[in-house]
Amino acid sequence: MSSQRPELVIDGFPKQRPGWAKLATSADHKDIGRILITSSLGFLFIALVELLLMRLQLAIPENTFLSPVTFSRMLSSYGATAVFLTAIPLALGFFYYVAPLQIGARGTALPRHGQIGLGLYVAGATVLYATFLFTPSEGGVNPLAPLSELAFLANNGIDAWATATGLATLGFVLIAIDLLTTLRKTRAPGMAWRRLPVFAWAATVSSWLMLFIGPVLLAALTMLLIDRNYDGIFFADGGGAPLLWQHLSWIFFSGSYMLILIFAFGAIAEIFSAFSGKPLFNRGAVMGSLVAIAVLGTLAWMQNMLTAPIGVGWMYFAMTMSLALLVPFGLVLFNLIATLSGGVLRMRAPLLFAVGAVSFVSIGLASELMHSLVGAAWELKNTTDATAATHFALVGGAVFGGFAALHYWFPKMTGRTMGESLARISFWTMVAGILLAFVPLFLAGSEQGQVIDAYKFFGSSGVDAYNLIASIGTLVLAAGIVMTIVNAIASRENGPEAGHDPWGGDSLEWFTLSPPEPHNFDVLPDVRSDRPMRDIRAAIAHRTSRDEQPDREQQPVA
Amino acid sequence: MAPHSPGTDQIDTLLWIGFFAAAILIVVVNVALLAIVRKHRGERGAEPRQVSSGRGLQFRVGGGLVLFAAVLLVVGVIFTDKAREAPANGPQGLESKTAAPLTIEATGQQWLWRYDYPNGAFSYYKVVVPVDTAVELELHSTDVIHTWNVPSLFGKRDAVPGKTNRVVFRADEEGVYEGNAATLSGQAYASMRTAVEVVSPEAYEAFVKQQKGEIEEAQNRVVELIENGETP
Repeated sequence: MSSQRPELVIDGFPKQRPGWAKLATSADHKDIGRILITSSLGFLFIALVELLLMRLQLAIPENTFLSPVTFSRMLSSYGATAVFLTAIPLALGFFYYVAPLQIGARGTALPRHGQIGLGLYVAGATVLYATFLFTPSEGGVNPLAPLSELAFLANNGIDAWATATGLATLGFVLIAIDLLTTLRKTRAPGMAWRRLPVFAWAATVSSWLMLFIGPVLLAALTMLLIDRNYDGIFFADGGGAPLLWQHLSWIFFSGSYMLILIFAFGAIAEIFSAFSGKPLFNRGAVMGSLVAIAVLGTLAWMQNMLTAPIGVGWMYFAMTMSLALLVPFGLVLFNLIATLSGGVLRMRAPLLFAVGAVSFVSIGLASELMHSLVGAAWELKNTTDATAATHFALVGGAVFGGFAALHYWFPKMTGRTMGESLARISFWTMVAGILLAFVPLFLAGSEQGQVIDAYKFFGSSGVDAYNLIASIGTLVLAAGIVMTIVNAIASRENGPEAGHDPWGGDSLEWFTLSPPEPHNFDVLPDVRSDRPMRDIRAAIAHRTSRDEQPDREQQPVA
Repeated sequence: MAPHSPGTDQIDTLLWIGFFAAAILIVVVNVALLAIVRKHRGERGAEPRQVSSGRGLQFRVGGGLVLFAAVLLVVGVIFTDKAREAPANGPQGLESKTAAPLTIEATGQQWLWRYDYPNGAFSYYKVVVPVDTAVELELHSTDVIHTWNVPSLFGKRDAVPGKTNRVVFRADEEGVYEGNAATLSGQAYASMRTAVEVVSPEAYEAFVKQQKGEIEEAQNRVVELIENGETP
């Protein structure tokens, strides 16, 4: 009896594509998040090089190292790189990697959005740096109309700047849409909004914020490109309104300032909670405050226009909004610090960087407070005092906060921890660097009124020593930052094995493997509190202790 | 940045208030942070206290912050209002038949300031004003945005094309007060400076008269040359 048995025929396995091709075409949120984080760190390095070139020019009075045009090109590239290619994608990259894991999702809801978003970001970065083959923008960090119009900057640097930042911003908006849909629709059973980890909540708030401010900038950039290329008069004098550009662009820049701080606070909240072994001092207050920061901070956009010809009522409106920010910022800082109190602090690298971030962000934000008093702003605006305040807050938030997040989630992404001793050296170098680089600029700006964006300063203005120290400090800061980047690269293959749950965090990303499988989770737990991982550990401990009861286990079966 | 006008006196006080407010916040946050980190670091085997706060404490802290912000808001409005009102002429100032301040037009252009005096005279880079006299500068721009900035007398104000902005001050001492432009306006922005030369009312009258005379003389000479068929 010849039986006809079904036969499985395999013509060999499908050919494996090379690793880079898999990564580049992946729609997995973990791959996209890792690419965003990695490229942000790369652009952080490039931004540092540009910053150092400018600081070298400003090390001594009336230096001739950089020409005025080269200086403004460095300034414009530095601004675009720091904001659009480093800080925002670093924040979004961590959100995109971690938030779906924290809510127990098996992937994101609209993975193509993330993939196209990443592609647009890469395209924007390519356009920005391709301009180095011809003419980079000379318009400064925020090229104000009408300087940005064709009549005053005739080469196509501004066009390229607008295209580059526009592509990147469109990418951020798409990623924000995916994140929001994921956070709304794919939470694990029992993961109510009130149980959402604070970092995932920060992702929600930041995505909503990006959904509001991104299109505003895109509209402004479109108008600018029409002005320059099709004789439009949106911002040009003679029919257009130069101040319109300022309103629209400052809405975006103020909003993204807040987005970066919200990211930093979200990451710090997770780290403080994990490393002290305590729940957040008050979750509701922190979550509400993050929303208030996003709303009030964006409404304070005219803070940047206090010397412009706007009515004094609007100036007081801006002052009210930025002083109101004191309340949510204060509440977040209070709750973060109170979380540490009574804990058992393991002083590992993530906690170290997070403590540094809280300290420097507080210095930066308190200094910004002086700038929100209208009369004081008339003196302090566009002085190096403003540079120092903003850099304390943003280097504190994006770099110290970003590095805290990097050290904290690096084991989840790679299965290895970053070298602890290099992390410590890097941290203390960065602390020395940020203080040396920006404290002198506070003094130069508030005592002598040294103005920003200028390619030189005059020896008679009494700021020589301040600028020299600031230049040396920037070099020290850069050295510290590079150490952490090197540490990350080296630890990817050679760091100590981390295991799946190295820090004892309370959220679900520590429930899965390190690095996680493409589908994130094999089984999903029922979430019953805002600390699901703690519940799981308790359940395991309970079961283990019950199983180890000798009188029950080792009794011979009768 | 020593203040030399009633407006900058107010701003100087406001700056100090802002400085102390910021300093208090920085010290409180950082001392609390570092003290807590020092106190609670790494006791091996100890069990962290699982405490969190109720609403009452949050409302008290939030209320304190609201109060702090509200006080700063009121202080900010009071001092800013004082700083922006046009001061009256002092006893040594220019005798004026009207109460209106001496109005001078300041026009920013890449990369120089032009000042037009009431009698039709004008000057570039430097503006001459009488001491102890309320002066109002009307800021205009012919090309891009320029920020007029003389820290001792007023601070900063933007000259925006198509718009008029206003600076008021009353210099209390004769001398020269300088400042840099403060908004990136193109290649020579770093060298775009201006100076306010404060002189006695008599010297001011003499200066605008002489300046006007010289400008008229030069213009008449050009007209003469053209009428004689010569190219100037």
